[in-house]
Amino acid sequence: MDALEIEGISKSFGDFYAVKNLSFEIPAGTIYGLLGPNGAGKTTTIRMVMNIIIPDEGSIKVLNQRMDEEMKERVGYLPEDRGLYPKMKVGELLLFLAEIKGLKGSEARKEIDFWLERFDLSDWKSKKVEELSRGMQQKLQFIVTVIHQPELIILDEPFSGLDPVNTKLLKDVMLEMKEKGRTIVFSTHRMEQVEMICDNICLINKAERVLEGNLSQIKKQYGKNTVILDYDGEANFIKNLPEIDRIDDYGKFMEIKLKEKSSPQDLLPKLVGKISINKYEVREPTLNAIFIEKVGGEEVKDEEDIISH
Amino acid sequence: MRKILSVIKREYIQIVRTKGFIIGTVLGPVFMLGLIVVPIIVSSASVERQETIGVVDLTNEIFTELDKKLDHREYRLKDGFRRYILEKYEPSPGVEEVRNELRERVLKKEISAYIYIPEDVLESGARESAVKDATVPEEVKAEYVSEHTTDFEELRSLNRALNNVIVEKRLKSEGLDPQKVAQYIKRVELQPIKITKKGEEEDTAGTFMISYFLALIIYMAILIYGQVIMRGVIEEKSSRVVEVVLSSLKPFQLMMGKILGIGAVGLTQFSIWTLFGIGASLYSTSFIPAGADFAMPSIPAHVFIYFVVFFILGYFLFGTLYAAIGSVVNSEKEAQQLVMPVTMFLIVPIMLMIFIIRAPDSPLAVFLSMIPFFTPILMFLRITVLLPPFAQIGVSIVILAITILVMVWLVAKIYRVGILMYGKRPKFAEVVRWVRYS
Repeated sequence: MDALEIEGISKSFGDFYAVKNLSFEIPAGTIYGLLGPNGAGKTTTIRMVMNIIIPDEGSIKVLNQRMDEEMKERVGYLPEDRGLYPKMKVGELLLFLAEIKGLKGSEARKEIDFWLERFDLSDWKSKKVEELSRGMQQKLQFIVTVIHQPELIILDEPFSGLDPVNTKLLKDVMLEMKEKGRTIVFSTHRMEQVEMICDNICLINKAERVLEGNLSQIKKQYGKNTVILDYDGEANFIKNLPEIDRIDDYGKFMEIKLKEKSSPQDLLPKLVGKISINKYEVREPTLNAIFIEKVGGEEVKDEEDIISH
Repeated sequence: MRKILSVIKREYIQIVRTKGFIIGTVLGPVFMLGLIVVPIIVSSASVERQETIGVVDLTNEIFTELDKKLDHREYRLKDGFRRYILEKYEPSPGVEEVRNELRERVLKKEISAYIYIPEDVLESGARESAVKDATVPEEVKAEYVSEHTTDFEELRSLNRALNNVIVEKRLKSEGLDPQKVAQYIKRVELQPIKITKKGEEEDTAGTFMISYFLALIIYMAILIYGQVIMRGVIEEKSSRVVEVVLSSLKPFQLMMGKILGIGAVGLTQFSIWTLFGIGASLYSTSFIPAGADFAMPSIPAHVFIYFVVFFILGYFLFGTLYAAIGSVVNSEKEAQQLVMPVTMFLIVPIMLMIFIIRAPDSPLAVFLSMIPFFTPILMFLRITVLLPPFAQIGVSIVILAITILVMVWLVAKIYRVGILMYGKRPKFAEVVRWVRYS
């Protein structure tokens, strides 16, 4: 069964296509990554799933049904723009947001206590939201998303702005949810998280789908002609070697994609003696490399930002 | 519906709990009551004490009569003692010398004032005809000399006593009986009597004031609570919580819940004030001084019912407008420009109030009170002044209700798009497009 089926959806704002003829399915009980550079159309897609924006064309089925008010109670949603009522007390806020998700008072109170405990926020229950630190507000925001035990959890850029501790906490909870049979879909442009936890991915660029499917299969498709090189020294000459297709150089670390007919075995001797090699690994390409290749001409400058040339 | 209830509950509790609400609810009536009661209490509680007043009577005829007059009960203090003790000063050796001496005594506070009565006060009546222009009698003046001359109450009572004495003397000198003349020139009051189908009742200035006052309350309440709605929408937008909420309910539910919840706050405030008002009028006799010329005007039941009806309808109509404004702007500052036209819809009927009160059933008044944006204030005002035929009230309410439904439908579409739009404020044409395409 698919937890989410998206078929041929499009949305334009004036002349600008935010999403164009996008289709994908998310199998129930999996974690799905929605990838793409900033402005690719991830958030618009998610908002259409949440029925906040109405698509111009196409259909969306959530848990085998059209999205409606009742369905919203079975879905948890973490918007890209985080926000809570700053003047409300933490407990009251959670109770209100649980109530509009259809939870009864007593049930809601039980869940609230459980989740506050799980995220180490119990002492803050009667404090106002605005008194919480940024990190605590992020945790609170996540509780809001999952408090009603949704079957489908949609997270828009869940890791952005999280410190390493909270990133780990969130990742753990996501995996727990998956174990319980919940389906999770999240958008991001940070590849290392996707590689660690996603079963399937969909890569969107400029409103259109460029890649979709099972992550390990995708990687296999790209074959074993990628070399990870950990080195010291002057390595500029490498990019002029005939075996090289593409290089992603980080100064002490390099991801090299070889031309189809070249072998990693041919490359290694050409490096020996010119640079000091700490590691020479032949493997599938990283998602980052696939991403950059697919998005084309664009480069992931750092983990947060993608700047086009 | 259950979700709307949750929103209503949240809005209600969050506002009712604020200091602003509590202070406003308590201080509102205290402030208004203060405006009415404090001056009454202060004026009647002004410290009256015995005063010695010197009199220089150049006519030599008035002092005795004036002294007798001021012995009357109406000029005495509350405890029965004389308020004004008169001391007569002979104008010898000369008038100026006496006046100088009296000035000294006033400054030394031996006497509180002195009255100077010139010689010609009694003849002036006769002299009037001798003047060239007989229609403009020359004013005759006696003088009241004191260190402070702003106690109008005292000046008025002394002036009345002196005048009575002089007029009586003048009448007597013409051979007329002052008491008879007083009867002849007794004033007639033109008493307004208001008739309704139920009978007649005396129309007092009180009920007039009440209509004005209640219409103003509708105006104030719509203005204040409308802004509360707007601020709430802007706050949800700028804190970005709106998308979280919209993942659980429809924009329409959020908007209606907000309008209803804040409306419930308004009704709560009114209920508290009404109870306060009833309590106050029950005890009014005890805290309004007996002597004060003031009675608590009463509000007829039908006026009160219409007040509630028109407040609720008006609140809804304008509440949707304020919600729409809140949804298309990013900050309160931006909102202020858009609020102006809405406020105009409220101010125009307030400016028309005097006209409506004077001609409540003129065709223009009927027409104006049918315009839905004016109806809550103007139709209500007409009802308090001159109960219009029920058909007119009914039609105005139906028009208003239909307008509200259209507005809710329209605004829900604007709200739906606007509340998730950040950045540049949309142009009017864009908003029209939202309505057409959503």
